[in-house]
Amino acid sequence: MNVLLCSINTLKRLYDISAVEVGQHFYWQIGGFQVHAQVLITSWVVIAILLVSAILAVRNPQTIPTDSQNFFEYVLEFIRDVSKTQIGEEYGPWVPFIGTMFLFIFVSNWSGALLPWKIIQLPHGELAAPTNDINTTVALALLTSIAYFYAGLSKKGLGYFGKYIQPTPILLPINILEDFTKPLSLSFRLFGNILADELVVVVLVSLVPLVVPIPVMFLGLFTSGIQALIFATLAAAYIGESMEGHH
Amino acid sequence: MKNITDSFLSLGYWPSAGSFGFNTDILATNPINLSVVLGVLIFFGKGVLSDLLDNRKERILKTIRNSEELREGAIEQLEKAQVRLRKVEMEADRFRVNGYSEIEREKLNLINSIYTTLEQLENYKNETIHFEQQRVINQVRQRVFQQALQGALGTLNSCLNNELHLRTISANIGMFGAMKEIK
Repeated sequence: MNVLLCSINTLKRLYDISAVEVGQHFYWQIGGFQVHAQVLITSWVVIAILLVSAILAVRNPQTIPTDSQNFFEYVLEFIRDVSKTQIGEEYGPWVPFIGTMFLFIFVSNWSGALLPWKIIQLPHGELAAPTNDINTTVALALLTSIAYFYAGLSKKGLGYFGKYIQPTPILLPINILEDFTKPLSLSFRLFGNILADELVVVVLVSLVPLVVPIPVMFLGLFTSGIQALIFATLAAAYIGESMEGHH
Repeated sequence: MKNITDSFLSLGYWPSAGSFGFNTDILATNPINLSVVLGVLIFFGKGVLSDLLDNRKERILKTIRNSEELREGAIEQLEKAQVRLRKVEMEADRFRVNGYSEIEREKLNLINSIYTTLEQLENYKNETIHFEQQRVINQVRQRVFQQALQGALGTLNSCLNNELHLRTISANIGMFGAMKEIK
């Protein structure tokens, strides 16, 4: 009996160690909603990193930029470049949106890959990159959808919906479907990539804790950056597409 | 055996459920790998990033220097243009003053010549009036003379008889003789 209990205990513990905690969340009850607290916490950290570094960098702007100011101006230039190539001439008002998307996703991804989140212990689940959670990516993707609808409607008025029957009305269903597939593909691409990265690292760490995960972690860093860039580029491309049209 | 397994498992076992805390398990929290990754990233990334930023700074400096030079050139040109403007303005002033005096002189000349013309005209007018008066006076005189002659002739024709005729002739002869004597 004792042995049985002990073995059950052991199995339970074995399960605990081998459990890669996907789908385990630390819930907070806010109003009638259950929110994933670990995502909120890491998002706040990411937001804090971004805000503090940006404020520190531009607190005392110089004509000849100091190091941090130089870096942030370089980042801004990069974002402007991306939005200019994707949106076209009227990219100005959309730089903040694209920049927010890119920086938030990028810092989220890299924080997941570089910060030792797991040192901090939660009652349930574990801290990881905010983009590791589908809710975050869906929110970002829906924001993108709203943004490109707003862009199109504010540019062309109701004539924006004319693009649904371009070039032929036969394509109407497909064009309508596109509005649903765009946020879906955006959110799932980001979520899948980041989750896969972190899972691979976690699994490798749990198998061979040292050295072996390092190349995969570098790969994760690379894909994280690329995913942030892809998200920002696609968001800009969608906005540009809905603003262009041919008339 | 069980103890060993337990102790091994307890490495990976953390107090689940309930509270926040710190996970001190070095293998599970993975700080070694992370620090290696961070180190490599900083080691290689720093060079690339600082190169990038230095280039950018250089570019900005170059741009600033260029625009400074352009600005200086523009200021120089501006000064030159201002000097020229001042010179041209002075010249224009001179011309204007000259022109004004010329105009004044012309005006005076014109007024003077008009005055002389006016006087001449006045003279002509007076002369013409005088002449006209003279002519009218002559005409009147002639008319009066003619009428007097006609009156005299009429009187002569109407009331001249022989005796009177003779007396008149003799009187006239006497008068002419007297006139001849006087001469």
